[in-house]
Amino acid sequence: MSTETETETEAEAEAETETEAETTTKVEIDAEAETGSEQPLVRVDSLHKYFYEKNSIVDRLLGEEPVAVRAVDDVSFDIHRGETLGLVGESGCGKSTTGETLLHLQEPTDGAVEFQGRNVFELAGRHLDRFRRSAQVVFQDPFSSLDPRMTIGRIVQQPLDVHSVDTEADRRDRVQNLLEVVGLSADQFDRYPHEFSGGQRQRIAIARALALEPEFVVLDEPTSSLDVSVQAEVLNLLDDLQDEFDLTYLLISHDLSVIRHVCDRVAVMYLGEIVEIGPVENIFAEPKHPYTQALLASVPRASTDEKERERETISGDVPSPRDPPSGCRFRTRCPEVIPPADLEIEQSTYRDLMNLRERVESRELSLELVDDGEGNRIDGSSGRVGNVDVTDERTGDETRAIVGAVKDRLFSAGDGTLPGRHDEVVTAALEAAVDDDWQRAAAMLREEYESVCERVNPGLGEEAHAVACHLYGDPDELVPGDRPDGESNVGRERDERE
Amino acid sequence: MSEDIIRIRDLSTRFFTAEGQVNAVSDLELTIERGEVFGIVGESGSGKSVTALSVMDLVESPGEITGGSIEYRNPAFADAIRDTHPDAVDGELVDLLAIPRETRQSLRGTSFSMVFQDPESSFNPTLTVGEQLAEAVEVQRRASANPRSTRARTNRSRYSLGSYVLSTVLPSQRYVTDESRNRAVELLELVGIPDPVERADEYPYEYSGGMLQRAMIAQALAGEPDVLIADEPTTALDVTIQAQILDLLSDLQEETGMTILLITHNLGVVAWMCDRVGVMYAGEIVERGQLEDVFDRPTHPYTKGLLGSVPDLEGAGGRLQPIPGNVPSLLDREMPDRCYFADRCPKAMDECLEHPPEFDVEGSDEHAAKCYLAEVEYTESRALPADYFELKDASETDERPVAADDEEPHRTGSGTGQETETTPAGDGSTSGSGGDSE
Repeated sequence: MSTETETETEAEAEAETETEAETTTKVEIDAEAETGSEQPLVRVDSLHKYFYEKNSIVDRLLGEEPVAVRAVDDVSFDIHRGETLGLVGESGCGKSTTGETLLHLQEPTDGAVEFQGRNVFELAGRHLDRFRRSAQVVFQDPFSSLDPRMTIGRIVQQPLDVHSVDTEADRRDRVQNLLEVVGLSADQFDRYPHEFSGGQRQRIAIARALALEPEFVVLDEPTSSLDVSVQAEVLNLLDDLQDEFDLTYLLISHDLSVIRHVCDRVAVMYLGEIVEIGPVENIFAEPKHPYTQALLASVPRASTDEKERERETISGDVPSPRDPPSGCRFRTRCPEVIPPADLEIEQSTYRDLMNLRERVESRELSLELVDDGEGNRIDGSSGRVGNVDVTDERTGDETRAIVGAVKDRLFSAGDGTLPGRHDEVVTAALEAAVDDDWQRAAAMLREEYESVCERVNPGLGEEAHAVACHLYGDPDELVPGDRPDGESNVGRERDERE
Repeated sequence: MSEDIIRIRDLSTRFFTAEGQVNAVSDLELTIERGEVFGIVGESGSGKSVTALSVMDLVESPGEITGGSIEYRNPAFADAIRDTHPDAVDGELVDLLAIPRETRQSLRGTSFSMVFQDPESSFNPTLTVGEQLAEAVEVQRRASANPRSTRARTNRSRYSLGSYVLSTVLPSQRYVTDESRNRAVELLELVGIPDPVERADEYPYEYSGGMLQRAMIAQALAGEPDVLIADEPTTALDVTIQAQILDLLSDLQEETGMTILLITHNLGVVAWMCDRVGVMYAGEIVERGQLEDVFDRPTHPYTKGLLGSVPDLEGAGGRLQPIPGNVPSLLDREMPDRCYFADRCPKAMDECLEHPPEFDVEGSDEHAAKCYLAEVEYTESRALPADYFELKDASETDERPVAADDEEPHRTGSGTGQETETTPAGDGSTSGSGGDSE
């Protein structure tokens, strides 16, 4: 690995044979040296990738505004020589798009990716050629990423043909060599992909990626379509190849145990943003971001202690990237969303209130057919009680009944009542909602309960283990009422605890 | 409550395909107790889904249950059936394979129901979720009104050709009563879907994956089943959603006391949910027992291999211990009469050339394994040479024209999907098998 500083060489001398120890030491030194002169192999700088819906000519003619799907929204990270950076997140969080865009397989919306100091998106001619040779990708599904009409020899040889490396005979030799390197046999050259199992196909895809002797390989869910025993083989193979060819990996995966096993550093993505990044040991031992914590708690462990394990799982679904939540994108599910400083409230009650606000603001709160407890169904939206039409003038009793029922449903933990003043606020807001004045209801709740998490999007710090969360920010910057206008720098927190 | 509710004996399910007979499940023995969560774990192609489909009687042509018995304990059902089919009844147990198909199918929903892996493809995209749930409720309502003849009656009068034609012109909603619709809303609420009233009127595409899986569980619960069969219920979901669904299943199981047969490839899910486990390999259960028996004291080398290949979330890296080779072909002619795991087993011995019976293993009473290692210590002197099976395969391939042709992964049986996929004999380290060894 060509990134050695003096200290690192010393460290490596000590732990020369211990690959594991070496990587660990290296990561720590990398982290320290980050601000120094050392240049990362890949530097991603506020990368954006939006996909636009309703963007056809017909839509334009009809005057439809294009809708941006913010797949990747301002993502920055570095990848150092010889390391494996993991990109982990749930489906739809933008991790694959990040991988594809940084290889310039997708056109970026904004931002830059530097590979060996050059911006990938501005490369042309010889430099582009060189970049294409030194950065490769292995895709998730080996059943669709290999052309079924080509022999595996030709599949692996194709990159060599495209870049006219060596003579025809040399290329063939090289391919046979590669097949053996990935654990296949050289005389399988003339077989077709369908003759191979999933694990073997993934080996072929890896051989193809290695054909041009790249420095950097993006592994996009390389094992997620494989059985565990086969996955283990492929992971071991990737490990061996990294040692043998000094490869740098970006491993994209949703499987935390794979990430834990393979990576030196990890970036956790949520809804197009990186919420936490750091050395793998730190992320797994002391996850800071509530999302990382929830993600780790959700993974079932293959151990008999699993039933007794205390776990805090999160409710709800990932919001749509078409209209991501303001401020911190995780706030709609976050169990630790920060209440205003002058508000005395229990965390769980606050979470419930925020959920209520969410639904009032999106007008998704159900007021129809609320059971009044006596078998009658009161229809809040059209104003029917049982069979009696009360549209003209809904009485105060009925409004109260509807409001009471909604509270019962939403705050079941506290038998439908809220402590102190909160009850009044919520009741008033719900009454407004029943009167079909949703805006007023939303405004009343916002005034009382607006969180810093929805005003300011926390920035990711510069530390080795950085987290984008207000919980780790400077408390002085979070004083309520002190509203920053728009995207101010308040969110660029430093993590003081590190 | 350790009363057994399902007792499967010598169950064999075969698929008769163009390539030959596929032994998806062979001589499977399984007892499930009332109120427990029993897990079947195995890799793709091990026959775990086909086992579930066999219990549900959903095996479709070219598949067929060719032998064995599936006994189900239900006193009321046994009484009802005793007069007409005395042979099938043994006390409170009824052999489901010995009663007519219509009667067996009437048990779907009320006695057994199933949650499938992929919720997106399990719902009809053209009907609202509430409608589909209400349909399930309606069917159960009629089924429980008359357990034995429901099927026939609904076939003739309600679902006749005439009413089918009518339903293409008129909205089909007349099959479903308001009562069923209200019940559907209750079910949605039961599985934790917010605003069930509105949600019931939405179409499947408006639901997220996790919500749809909840809706499918609601549908499975419509008939208040004794046994819920969940076939990879969380495989298509993200981990945070998986955690929600597993929690939901646990809660429902605690509330209703139903029995769950959970089928999964994920050992973590098994550890989270199950009381007892069976590890499947090549169509049979190779090791079974309490969760602790199988996870803490595995005897079968396959179980050990499976546990060893899972990357650990807590511990540091280090090398994984994969199982060499691949899940074997289940084609009858490629399944010699030996331990099916012997060709991948690191401890294969002379004994293993004979198919092992099930041995009791230390641990709880239920701990058993189909492996000679349960009885004999492994000794180097009796070990098979490392290349034993490769040499044997090579000599066999000479007789067959092109070994590769029948190695193509293919699907057999429309309803059974990947579980009957056959894969080539060797992967990676055993790639010497096949045509390259001439």
